[in-house]
Amino acid sequence: MVVLLAVVVIGGLVLLARRNRDGPRPDRAGTDGAGPGFPDRPLGGKRVSAALMSLGRIEVCGLRKEYRGIRAVDDLSFTVEPGRVTGFLGPNGAGKTTTLRMLLDLVEPTAGTATIGGVRYADLDQPIRRVGAVLEAGAAHKDRTGRDHLRIVCQSAGIPLARADEVLELVGLGAAANRTFRGYSLGMRQRLGVAAALLGDPQVLILDEPANGLDPEGIRWMRDLLRTLATQGRTILVSSHLLGEMEQLADDLVIVAAGRLAAQGTVASVIGSMTYLSRTLVRTPELGKLAAVLGSDAVVTPAGDAGAYITGADAVAIGDAALRAGIAIHQLVTQLPDLEAAFLELTAGKASIR
Amino acid sequence: MTALLDSAALDQAGDTGTTLVRLIRAEFMKIRTTSTGELFLTGFIVFTAMALTINGFGIHHQLDPQQGLAGRAQALAQARAPASVAKMAASMMTSGQRICVLFALLLGVLIVTSEFANQTAAVTFVTVPRRTTVIMAKVAAAACCGALFWLVGTVLAAVATPLFLYSQHVSTSVAGWAVARSVLLNLLAFVAWGVFGLGLGAVLRSQIVAVIGAIAVYAGSFGTELVFSALYNLFRQGWMLGAPVIGPAVASEVMTTSGPAFPHAPPGWTGGIILIGYTVALVAGGIALTKRRDVI
Repeated sequence: MVVLLAVVVIGGLVLLARRNRDGPRPDRAGTDGAGPGFPDRPLGGKRVSAALMSLGRIEVCGLRKEYRGIRAVDDLSFTVEPGRVTGFLGPNGAGKTTTLRMLLDLVEPTAGTATIGGVRYADLDQPIRRVGAVLEAGAAHKDRTGRDHLRIVCQSAGIPLARADEVLELVGLGAAANRTFRGYSLGMRQRLGVAAALLGDPQVLILDEPANGLDPEGIRWMRDLLRTLATQGRTILVSSHLLGEMEQLADDLVIVAAGRLAAQGTVASVIGSMTYLSRTLVRTPELGKLAAVLGSDAVVTPAGDAGAYITGADAVAIGDAALRAGIAIHQLVTQLPDLEAAFLELTAGKASIR
Repeated sequence: MTALLDSAALDQAGDTGTTLVRLIRAEFMKIRTTSTGELFLTGFIVFTAMALTINGFGIHHQLDPQQGLAGRAQALAQARAPASVAKMAASMMTSGQRICVLFALLLGVLIVTSEFANQTAAVTFVTVPRRTTVIMAKVAAAACCGALFWLVGTVLAAVATPLFLYSQHVSTSVAGWAVARSVLLNLLAFVAWGVFGLGLGAVLRSQIVAVIGAIAVYAGSFGTELVFSALYNLFRQGWMLGAPVIGPAVASEVMTTSGPAFPHAPPGWTGGIILIGYTVALVAGGIALTKRRDVI
């Protein structure tokens, strides 16, 4: 009987221990930040030595991960260079998070290697001083303050505890340092994750969807921060679904679909490889006549207001044909594909959920 | 590398201890910075106080039996014999052990499962990718928490026991070997149960499953006495009478009880070996699984 009573009481205590002690409720209407953002001052642009460059290079080679017969990542190879922001893109279930976790030794690859500066993450000396990672916005104990969360990471890594306060100020969470994690908005949680990643002042930053939940000001803050860090010679690998944001932020892209590499290169080269997606906007009072002289390869799609989009013939061919036929042209504009169009084309037909 | 800010902190020395020592300190920070530790300690003190009170009533009735005059004198003489009084003192000094080790057990479970429940396991293993060292630090923290519960319980008992015995007009020392032996074995039980919980949590990972599992293992252990008693009635094999010791909680009772914990109970060291054996096996299994499993 006494044992039963004890079980009930202790069970209640366990449940109580999981609940908040005194933390404020999340301020859903609030912004993601609690203070000034990343300091708006020039920080870097220093020349990075070849040795540092090689220390910061991420190399993924023939990486494969199978879960119960399903290949989440399939023979994936790519390189991420220091001093650049590399966007890691792919549809849901494409294997992005699994790849990042293999890079951080959280997930064991079925085959292949993932190294940072030529060394597996697990073999790095003081890994947190070399690599900072933002994996999940909800990765802190709900009843712990942001400051305590960071101080625990400092203590584990042998970093002075005072560093926690520095990075909290850096990410604009100084005013919310002593609030419990339960009271943080999603954007504040993202900032805390970034703060944890910056504790060791690392050469390499790996961020999994860091912009999720950020408001426009927060997204701009994140963009400025990552750009500044890359300018300092750091390696920035960031996965995201925000294609427009990535087009502005990234220097390089790695696009995966169904666990396989779909494209890699600079943003311009990846988009440039999709030139067949480009189209030409033409405005002319004689659209029917122009369509007739362009030949069978050209596809004319009326766009209203005496205009049409033409694919299958570029602006030069259209202009020449119009000149020969004596057709007046009021507007002739080549429209190149954007990242979204390139992404959708590269990942089309590759099942994202397998 | 250019520092992000002019970092005064990074120019200073951090904790220069070994990775294991740093991680053990971090585990204590984790416990201190949530309400879990306080709630458990408060609950433990309340239960220990209750156990001391209940135990005190029981001993009072032994020392002052309400029987017929002739029988009463005999019972009084027996109860107040030096050996009997020493046993009572030992019992008072370890009041509530049967219930209160549950606090050490469940805190051990929470030390590891809260990492998965709160998704902080990835942060922990990214900070220090040496998973065996991480688990060993948690083992040390769970053992220390068990020892802390024991210390608090023993201090409470060390204050209450002499006062109670004095009030019963019994003169005995709580510093005798019999009492000290019980108190030290009690320490071993608290430490073992803390680490047992840690190992169970590392094996199961899911907080709710591990908490229910730990309580089921503990409470269910006492059912082994019923099971083997029924088996003995069927098969009449002598070894079955002592077999309940294979239940971890029964093993703990056998280890800490001065004298037989139940009729035909095996010697105390048997219980100690069985309890420690379970604990070591769970920790070893927990480490092996933690090293092998992906952190998703």
